This record gives sequence, C-alpha cells and structure tokens, in this order.
Amino acid sequence: MKRPLISVRNLKKYFNVGRGKFLKAVDGISFDIYPGETFGLVGESGCGKSTAGRTIIRLYEPTDGETIFNDKNIYDLSRNEMRKFRRDFQMIFQNPYASLDPRMPVRDIVAEPLDIHNIYSNSNERRRRVIELLNLVGLDEKHADRFPHEFSGGQRQRIGIARALALNPKFIVCDEPMSALDVSIQAQIANLLKDLQRNLGLTYLFIAHDLSIVRYMSDRVGVMYLGHIIELADSGDLYDNPIHPYTQALLSAIPIPNPQEQRNKHRIVLGGDVPSPINPKENCRFEGRCPYVLDVCKKKEPRLREVKKNHFVACHRANEIIGGMLN
Amino acid sequence: MGKLLDVKDLAISFQTCFGEIEAIRGISFHINKGETVAIVGESGCGKSVMSGSLVQLLQMPPAYYKSGKILFQGEDIVQKSEKEMRDIRGNKISMIFQDPVTSLNPTMKIGKQIIEGIVKHQDLNKDEARKKTIEMLELVSIPQPEKRVVQYPHELSIGMCQRIMIAIAMVSNPELLIADEPTTALDVTVQAQILDIMKGIQNKLGTSIILITHDLGIVADMSDRVIIMYAGKFVEEGNVMEIFNNPMHPYTGKLLGSVPRLNMSRSESLHSIEGSPPDLYKPPAGCPFFDRCDKAMYICEHNMPKRNYHSDTHYSCCWLNCPMAKDTAEGNEI
Repeated sequence: MKRPLISVRNLKKYFNVGRGKFLKAVDGISFDIYPGETFGLVGESGCGKSTAGRTIIRLYEPTDGETIFNDKNIYDLSRNEMRKFRRDFQMIFQNPYASLDPRMPVRDIVAEPLDIHNIYSNSNERRRRVIELLNLVGLDEKHADRFPHEFSGGQRQRIGIARALALNPKFIVCDEPMSALDVSIQAQIANLLKDLQRNLGLTYLFIAHDLSIVRYMSDRVGVMYLGHIIELADSGDLYDNPIHPYTQALLSAIPIPNPQEQRNKHRIVLGGDVPSPINPKENCRFEGRCPYVLDVCKKKEPRLREVKKNHFVACHRANEIIGGMLN
Repeated sequence: MGKLLDVKDLAISFQTCFGEIEAIRGISFHINKGETVAIVGESGCGKSVMSGSLVQLLQMPPAYYKSGKILFQGEDIVQKSEKEMRDIRGNKISMIFQDPVTSLNPTMKIGKQIIEGIVKHQDLNKDEARKKTIEMLELVSIPQPEKRVVQYPHELSIGMCQRIMIAIAMVSNPELLIADEPTTALDVTVQAQILDIMKGIQNKLGTSIILITHDLGIVADMSDRVIIMYAGKFVEEGNVMEIFNNPMHPYTGKLLGSVPRLNMSRSESLHSIEGSPPDLYKPPAGCPFFDRCDKAMYICEHNMPKRNYHSDTHYSCCWLNCPMAKDTAEGNEI
C-alpha cells in the first residue's frame, strides 16, 4: 500500500459574512493525494474548489480539520516551520495577467522564491538557475530580462510555472491554470504540465471547472458541490460511470466537439441554480435540483461512502442508481 | 432562403499612436434567414470587432471602416448615420454579450431595463409594455416573472442575468441576433440551459443567429454553418459536418485536435499549436498561419491563398488545397 503524500481530513473553511452568518465554502472534505499522481477537483463556480486548494497549502487558515504532510499537521506549525514546509508546496494561479508583478523583470519573478529562501548568494549561480528554469518551461535566456507585459498569456503562464518550480517542490496546486487561455495555448500548457510531472516526479492538485481538461490531466477526480465532495473516483471510472445525479448532469452538459454525437446525446438539463453557500441546510445539498429526490434527502445529509471499489459517492440512492433502478 | 445579411470584403482598422492595426482584413460572408452561423477563432483574431461593426458599435475613431459593405436586408450599414442605426440596433439586429452582469445597468430594475427597449421601438402603452415584459421573461423561462421585474441585477445569478439579456435582445423580435460568447462566463449546467433557450427562441421566432465563440463543443451543438477566423481573415467556412468531419485548413485541423475529448486516453498528448497568432500591427503578407503551420511552404509566407472550394458550401484558404498543388507531394514546394 502506497503512503499518501498529503492527507486532507475533514477540512472546513467558513467565512464570516456578518450578522452571525457563515459562508461555508468548504464544509468537511477528506481525501488523500498519492505521490506522483494528479488529483483533480472539479465543480461549478462557488463550489469551494479554489478555497479548498488554498486552504490545503495554508494560504487560508482552516476553520477545522487537518492536512497531514510528512506525518505532521501543517496547521499546527509555527510561522518559521511553515516557511520550511512551503518549499515543498507551490501554486500556479489562474490569471497569468494578475499573478506576475508588472514591475519586475522575469528573472526576478522566477528567482523570488530562491531569494526568499536564500538559496544562492552568488548572482551567477542564481542567473544560471533562472535560465535552467526558463528552459524547463520552454522559454529561453533572452526572455529573462523582459517584463511580463511583453509576453502573451501562454508565455506568462509558463513564467508562473517556472516560478512554482524554482524550489523543487513536491506538490503543486494548479488553480484553473488554463482557463484564461485560448484552446490552442491550453493544449501547450496541458502538455507542459504533464511532461514536467513525468520528468520531475511532481504531484498535482488540479483544480478546474472544465471537465474535459480535468479528465485529461487527472488520475483521480473529486466532484465538489457547495463545499462537499459528492463523488470521488478514478478519472476513467468517474467519467464513464458517474453515479451521483449531479455528476451525471454535469457530464451530460459538456458540449462534445462532434456534431453527430452532440446532437444525438441525451442531455440532463438541471432546473434552477446552485443555492447560496451561506448557512446551508444540513441535508443533501443537491436536494432542490435532484430528479431522484426522496424525503430522506431533505432531512439527512448523505455521507461519502465507497459504493464500488475506489468509487465514493455521497448519495442516499447510490445503490439504486448503480442497479439501474432509476431512469 | 434569402440572404438576410451579406458582408462583402469588409476591412476595419484601428488608428493608434503606433500606426494602423488591421483588425479585419477583407472578409465576406452571408447569413440566411433562420440559420445559425458560428464564427470561431482565438482571442485577438477580430471576431468581436467584426460583430461590433455589424451594428456600428465600434468607437470611431480609433476604428474606421477601410473598405467593404455590410448589406442588411439590402441596405448598407456602413453608410448609415447614428440616428438611422438606432432604429436598427436593438430592433432588427440585437446583441448579447459575454458578461451579463456588466452589460445590465446595476441601478435599474430588471423590468425597467426590458421596457426601455419596448417603448423605444414599439407603439405600446404602459400596461401593454408591462404585459410584454412578463411575456418576454416567460419566453426565457424565468420563474416568477412578476417578482423579477422589480428586482435589481445584483439580486439575480449570472445565468439569470444572461436570460434577462436575451429577453432584452428579443423584445422587438429582431431578424438577427448576434451572440458574442454568450456562455463563456457561465458554468456548464447553466450554459446548457441558456443554449436550450436560444434554440427554443430560434425555433419559435425564426431568428438568425451569429454565434461568436471559441468553444468547439458549443459550435457542434448549435450551428448550421461554421466560419473559422484567424488573424483578421476567414480561413475556412463550411457547414458544421464538413468542418468537423473534413477540415481542410491545417489551422482548423489543429484547433479540433487541441481540444481534449472525454473518450481520449490519458497517455495521448494533445496536439498543441506552437507559437502564437501574428501581430495585426504589421500582418504578414501571405498566409497568417504560415509560421505555426507544419506544412508551410515557401509560397505561404509571401502570397495569401485564395478560396478553394471543396463543395458549394465549403471553402478553405490554403495553398495545399489549391488545384495547382495537386500534383506535388504534401509538404513539397510548388
């Protein structure tokens, strides 16, 4: 049995929105991420996937729960200890236009993590490392002295990746790294992230709302809805045999770039919108939009349980759905 | 089917302090009644400039029409004055935009924003206009329309706001709806709802739709014909089956290959297109795609290929498809 690199246990992050109300962005999620794998987190906007990613690397302090890395709960660490731990965690952000300081040349952006951790005292060595990193992401030496505005979106995202790789991290949180880019550029970044993973043995938490990209990138995928993980499985299994009614609807809503298939497929169109995450009720969060809703769904919150090997679902009627009794 | 819109050799440039930016470089196409035409391209290829130019929504200057005609029901839009345009815009041609939240006025109630268009273009009294508003909200499947008309945009979700935008666009039953990335800001399940509403409206009212998008899945779902745009030019046009099953331009082929498919195995790598689109400040004289194309030949760099027709509806602008290129092996120089 492989040991997980990161274990997230019952993680919660609430934001106080005043008047005694709490926005429960992440409300008790648990999963393991194994070394060398890509764990995908999908869901629609507002489901808490980005908050989860940020809380896991402690950019936010959690309300409750723990994240175990190297046998230690990272939320118990002091500031100094945390700084050492941070070398192993990095993040790639969504918007490459906002995540690079416009007044810094690329060499300083990429070297900033190196400077913070005092890795190089010799400026020649520092520059050599910067160029090595730029080469790694498909840029070269001549780019080092330019400023972010001189680059296209795809190139900026490469700079962001180079910065994330500077300290040889073990674990990278990729928060929607391609959603601001054009399709042809998305493919470049997807291939780059995969190559880097293979060559450097990285582990990714890959957060995105684009389900086809998540499937392409991830080994295992968790689907989030209103702060809960409602389904978690190997990516092939999840996409071929979705069990939770929400996952089924979500997958059927993806337009397939093939006119014959797209026009003949059955699409489950959900009514309504995602309810507000402020003080949600303690029942199944999907209850108001679910086609299979029962009384029990309105009263009791379903727990995430293993219904098939390595396939976890939080739904009271999961067994009936697997048995094909609901259609 | 008659031609509703006929664009002939349209060119639009922007005058900037660095010189002329040639955003649209000579495009021709037409829209028939009741059909949906998708215009696909990457950001910066000129698709939004083109859609704005169809209703004179570009700020002029810096933008100016360099050449060409836009014939809408036989009349040239380029020659219209601002006053004449007001009778067309929102009445015969409507637009919906990418971001519904910023397109709506945050200080006005929903009902008032819809009534505005009705009062402007139709001879109705207040009560009739109010009734029409409710009718429009029902058309876009908004539950409890009486309650919504007195709410403000911030009280509604993004998906709901986009439906309001569609309702505003459809009040005067326009002939042509220009949808500029209508679902890009939305989640997939909401996107599915909005696309369904747009299809329903088209079936009911027979509106022609120009759909501008970069999402090939939506194109496959919605469109009758597809136009592929690259660096201010149309590089391929055909009906939806021709484009998806038999792409003739290398750019179209690569674009289709760069989208991950759900049935794709994880070990397959995506066909990325290396490099990035050219700068339209000094656009290349030849094929704009030549520096990213792996089949580029000497001629591509210096001469823009003309349209080569593969069927009545399908053409591509690529030297490889030129009749003269038939005898040469692929990739060899002519």
